[in-house]
Amino acid sequence: MGPSSRFESTERRMSRHKAAHIDLGEFFTGGLSTSSFRKLTKAIKEEIAEGRVESAARAIRTAVQPDLDLQSSLNLHRLIGRLGDAAPEPARRIRVAVVSSYTADPITQLIELNLFARDVRAEVYRADYGVLRQEILDPSSGLYSFKPDYLLLTPSWRDIVHLPKPGDGGERARELIRTEVADWLRLWEIAHERLGCEVIQDTFVQPAWRALGNRELQDPVSLGGTIRRLNIALADEAPSYVVLHDTEHLSASTGHWSWSDTRFFHVAKLPCAPASQVDYSHSIASLVTAKLGLSKKCLVLDLDNTLWGGVIGDDGLEGIRLGQGEAEGEAFVAFQEYVKRLKDRGVVLAVCSANDEKNAKEAFEKHPGMVLTLEDISCFVANWGSKADNIRTIAETLSLGLDSFVFFDDDAMQRSLVRRHVPEVEVPEVPSDPADYVRTLDKHRYFQVVSISAEDLVRTESYKANAKRIRLRESTETMDDFLASLEMRERTIPIGPMEVERSAQLINRSNQFNLTTRRRTLSELKAIIEDESWLTRCVFLTDRFGDNGLISVLLAHRDGAVLEIDTWVMSCRVLRRGVELHLWNCLVGEARRMGIERIVAEYLPTSKNGLVQDHYRKLGLDLVESDDTGRTKWECRVKDAPTPIASHHLQSVAS
Amino acid sequence: MSDLLGTMQEILRDLFDDDELIVTRETTADDVGGWDSLAHINLIVALEDEFGVRFATAEISSLKDEGQNVGALLDLIERKLAKE
Repeated sequence: MGPSSRFESTERRMSRHKAAHIDLGEFFTGGLSTSSFRKLTKAIKEEIAEGRVESAARAIRTAVQPDLDLQSSLNLHRLIGRLGDAAPEPARRIRVAVVSSYTADPITQLIELNLFARDVRAEVYRADYGVLRQEILDPSSGLYSFKPDYLLLTPSWRDIVHLPKPGDGGERARELIRTEVADWLRLWEIAHERLGCEVIQDTFVQPAWRALGNRELQDPVSLGGTIRRLNIALADEAPSYVVLHDTEHLSASTGHWSWSDTRFFHVAKLPCAPASQVDYSHSIASLVTAKLGLSKKCLVLDLDNTLWGGVIGDDGLEGIRLGQGEAEGEAFVAFQEYVKRLKDRGVVLAVCSANDEKNAKEAFEKHPGMVLTLEDISCFVANWGSKADNIRTIAETLSLGLDSFVFFDDDAMQRSLVRRHVPEVEVPEVPSDPADYVRTLDKHRYFQVVSISAEDLVRTESYKANAKRIRLRESTETMDDFLASLEMRERTIPIGPMEVERSAQLINRSNQFNLTTRRRTLSELKAIIEDESWLTRCVFLTDRFGDNGLISVLLAHRDGAVLEIDTWVMSCRVLRRGVELHLWNCLVGEARRMGIERIVAEYLPTSKNGLVQDHYRKLGLDLVESDDTGRTKWECRVKDAPTPIASHHLQSVAS
Repeated sequence: MSDLLGTMQEILRDLFDDDELIVTRETTADDVGGWDSLAHINLIVALEDEFGVRFATAEISSLKDEGQNVGALLDLIERKLAKE
């Protein structure tokens, strides 16, 4: 096909759809080909030209896929530039510095693009290539005037200073690795101390070649073996403000030879093959996203042809393809096993299926090939209603935001409908072969994690219990009876080292019950809890359905006789239980003890925290200031501070 | 316009985000805004994808050499295609 005919058909199609907004489903059907991508680019340009920047921005975000080619990715990056100042306000703005031994221009752009896809606007600083150590050691370098929130260090194995030589024994080789690790620890420490930033450190990528052949792994002085051991030592020694980004794994999963097309290293000092930079940047962006608390939380699964082959309602229990002994049935088992592993580490699972509930559940209860059980599913919806509505119901039942949802369904029409009607939800394209499901879901890195807390491991129980609570609330006569039936026990304590990680998570993930939406990195929060001018509290809650864990955090700053509430967040799972009233009473009590005269507080509106705009009014504080952005300031004198009656069903337990 | 040149023009239009860009055999990197060494690598990648050929290191790096233009690049591709 010549270029001109392609051009004309695009023109014709676009003029037909001129009035319509971009229908993304159309572009993704059957994967993104070069020509469908050109159409999309053109349509996005048109949206921008006609001032529909919201729609254009959404199209750009959706078009960013982990498998996108380099050229398309760079073109999308350029389109972000075209949005200019009209671009919709993102969920977060951050500053990222890339300090590399390589030419980092393309990854800088690609990281910006991939963060944009996750609603994060990054201003990125790129140091000149090859000055990694100088950039960190020299306090007058560009890095220090830029002041990043996140520092990405991308060295190559050529940067390893302490490499063992042939003839060095095992002990000498281990000593060299220890010295090398100590060097990196010092660089991290210097950057962190001077900048207070979090560090993302690439692992070292082994070259594809092996001078010692198969002996590389076992030999104490081989390059490959040294790199492996060094990576593990760095991971073991990394302090909490450093995340190791496992570039070595990226390279291995791509294939070392394809990953490192050395022509481009020789020509332009690119870190890897140009195409590999796309996957690399996607991975980095997912890590930053996870650090910001914006990873997805809930996977909503279709059933027929998604968890098993065939249609349970038509084919019956014996007719569906699932289980060992049959190739496709095994592929569905493998997908379920992968999903189960996600659930085991804290991803919440839900089912959304067009089926009779009885049929759908029967497969879970009776089919021997099923890996997932009904216990694994926090919310199970099978009916003949619209999936878009059902997904909204699931979000309400679980008290999770739609923007933390991923919807996985083999049916292109359902995907398209959900994309259109619930645009907040991530909807990956699903390949036709179930053997590719795991790869597809995994490559998107929706559920990226930087740390795994005790709460993550019991999350399903917690959300299941929440769904039960909501059902109970529906069936209980009065709110009072409901609260009494919950048998709640709470524990409110200052944030200590044991609670700081989960507290930081809550501060960074809460959007709705969040009075000021001030985010704090783990290291910032650690500094706050050490600082005597700060008063911190966190609340644990258990009830008859289970342990809710740490569900609320309050940070207040003392300035003389004034105590200012800087941050107050609470998990929406425990709304309307009297927890916030109780925490306020605790705060007032503490303020009296400290000799505080006034408590001041403010509410900073966002698109998501309308829930708490009257929070301080309800507590009985006086409004002292407000402006037309909706921002309000409140205060009260401690001696006549209101102490609302917290739920008498909330029983305090000694810490 | 030969098919090869036409495809080249399409790729360059994409690469430099310029739907009006006219490319001839005489066009050099200096004639096109933004055609620097990194853009050149992106062009090489796009050409390798499009034609299924592979450029050698020296061929990639000789962009700024005297006498380099789109025609020379096309001849190179044609020679590579003929060998297959």
